[in-house]
Amino acid sequence: MNTRRLIRSLSEPSIEVIGYVVLFFMIAYIYAPMIWLFLTAFSPKGGPFLEIPKSFTLENFAIVFGLKKIRAGAAALSLYMHRWIVNSLIIAITTMVVTVVTASMAGYALSRLRFRGKSIFMVGLLVLGMMPTIAKLLPLYKLCIMFGFINNLVGAGIVVASGIIPVQIWIMKGFFDHIPRELEEQAWIFGCSKLEALFRVVLPCAGPGLSVVAFLSFLAGWGNFIIPLILIRTEPLYPISLGIAASFIHHPGEIGLAVPYGPLCALSLIYVIPSMTLYFIARKYLMQIKLAKMEV
Amino acid sequence: MITKIKRLRIVRTNSTKLKYKLEEIIIIFFLFPALALFITFQVIPTLWAIYFSFTDIALYGKKLFEYKFIGLNNYEKLFSDEIFWKSFSVTFEYCTFSLLLRFTLGFIAALYITSRLFKGKAIIAGLLIIPYTLPGAVIPYMWISMLDSRYGTLNKVLMLLGLPPQSWLYERAMQSVVMVNCWSGYVLAMLILASAIKSIPDEYYEVCEIYGASRLFKFTKITLPLIKWPLVLSLILIFKEDIDDFTYVFILTEGGPNYRTELLSLYAYHKAFAFYELGAGCAVGLIIMIIVFLLTLAQIKISRIM
Repeated sequence: MNTRRLIRSLSEPSIEVIGYVVLFFMIAYIYAPMIWLFLTAFSPKGGPFLEIPKSFTLENFAIVFGLKKIRAGAAALSLYMHRWIVNSLIIAITTMVVTVVTASMAGYALSRLRFRGKSIFMVGLLVLGMMPTIAKLLPLYKLCIMFGFINNLVGAGIVVASGIIPVQIWIMKGFFDHIPRELEEQAWIFGCSKLEALFRVVLPCAGPGLSVVAFLSFLAGWGNFIIPLILIRTEPLYPISLGIAASFIHHPGEIGLAVPYGPLCALSLIYVIPSMTLYFIARKYLMQIKLAKMEV
Repeated sequence: MITKIKRLRIVRTNSTKLKYKLEEIIIIFFLFPALALFITFQVIPTLWAIYFSFTDIALYGKKLFEYKFIGLNNYEKLFSDEIFWKSFSVTFEYCTFSLLLRFTLGFIAALYITSRLFKGKAIIAGLLIIPYTLPGAVIPYMWISMLDSRYGTLNKVLMLLGLPPQSWLYERAMQSVVMVNCWSGYVLAMLILASAIKSIPDEYYEVCEIYGASRLFKFTKITLPLIKWPLVLSLILIFKEDIDDFTYVFILTEGGPNYRTELLSLYAYHKAFAFYELGAGCAVGLIIMIIVFLLTLAQIKISRIM
C-alpha cells in the first residue's frame, strides 16, 4: 500500500515534467528558424546565416518603405517593395470580404433549410473543394483571361476566395447550428420577418463565427502563392509572397549570397505582422470553432 | 404585454402566406453566391482539366490552340514512365510521414492547450499558433538558412551536441521537406482538436474523478470517443493540404536530388511547364484528384462504422 502510494506520488508529477520537456522541444522546433529572420531584419549587415549582430538599426525598414536608398554596390533590389504591401492587402481584404459574405450566407441557408440530400450536398461540397489546385492551374488561367483577371488584384482575391469557400461554409454552418432556433422563433413571434430576425438576432450571435471565417480567409488571401504566381505578371502588382520569392534568387537548396537579406527580412517581418495582429483579435473565437456534424 | 403578443400573432397568422414563402425562397437564394463562385472558379476548371487530359494539348507551337482528342494515350505514356512511379511512391512516403507527424504534433499541442495540468495555457496557445499565421512563401527561405549543410543553424546545434552534421537538403531531402511542412502544418489539427476537446462538458470528467478513474481511462473512454468526428475531419483536411503541396518542395529542393522529392504535383508541373506536355500534366492532376476522392470517401465510410 505504502509503496503504491509512493509510486503514484512519483508518477503524477513526472507526467507534468515530461510534458514540459516535450513542450520545450516543440517550442524550440518552432522558434529556432524565426530567430534568424528577426535578427537579420534589425541588423545593419544581414547575411544568409545566423550571426548575432553587434548593433541594431531600423534602416532595413526604411529601405522597404522607400525612404532610404540602398547602399551602392548592393545587389539589385526592387523599387516596388512598399507597393507589394498594398497589393497583398488588396488581395487579402478582397478574399476576406468575399468569403465572409458568401460563406456566412450559405452557412445560414444550410443550417436552417431542410431539403432532401442535404448531407450528400455538404459532403460533395467538401470533396469537390478538396480537388488540388495544381491540377487545374491551366484551365483556371484560361478562365481568368476570359474574366479579365490577369494582372487584377481583386480578381486574384476572388479566385483565392473560391478555393477556400467549402471549408468556411462548414465552419459557418457549425456556428449557426449552435445558435438556438428558439431565439429566432421568438423574434418571429414578436413580429420580425425572417430576414429581420436574421439581421437583428442571428448575425449578432454569430459574431465569433464571422470573425473566425474573416481571420482564416484573410490569412489565405495574404499568404497565397500559387494563384498570384499564375495571375499576376508585372512586378509593381506583385503581392509580397511573390515579391519575396522573386527576390531571394538562388538555386534550389542553395543560398544566394548576392541578395540584400536585411531589407528582405524586414519585408518578411512586415508580411508577418498583419496576420499576427488579426490573430490576437480573433483568438478568443478561434478556439470556438464548432464544426458542423457530418450527418452522412 | 400578453395582449400585445397575441395581437402580433394574429397579425402573423393573417398575413399572407405568400410573404412567408417568399422569405423561404430568399434564404434558398443565400446559397447561390457561394455556389456560383465555387462552380465558376473550381468545378469548371476541374472538368476542363479532365477534358484536357484526354487531348494532346501542348505548350508549344500550334498545339496550344489546335488540339485533338487522343483518348487514353496520355495515361498509357504515364504508366510506362519510370519517374511517374517513383514520384508516386515519393508522394506516398511524404504524405504518410507528414500526416503522422502533423497529426501527432497537433494532437499533443491541443492537449497542452486544453489540459488542466499545465499552467499558462493562454501563453502556450499564443506561442503554438504563430507558425500558422506566417505566410507560406516566407517559411522555406527561413528554413534554407536553418538547413544549409556548412553554415546552417541546425548543423551548428548538432555539432554542439557532439552529433555528426547532416547534409539536410541532399542526403536527407525527404526528412527536411517533411520537417518544414510540419513546422507550420500541425496548427490546423491543433485548432480543430482543441476546440473539440473544449466542447466536452466538464461534468463527464468530474463523474470520472468521483469514481477515481485514471487519466488514461478518462482519455481513452471520454475524450477520444467524443472527438472522433473532428479527428476524422482534421485527417481529411491535412491530407488535402499535403497531396497538392507544392510551394515548400518547389522552393527547397525542386524535386530533389535524383527525383527523390519529386511529388506528384511537382511532376505535373514539370510535365506541363518544363516538357510542355500540358495534356500529360493534366492527366497527372487527374490522378491526384482520383486519389484524394477515393481516400476521402474511404475516410467518411470508416468514420461511419466507428
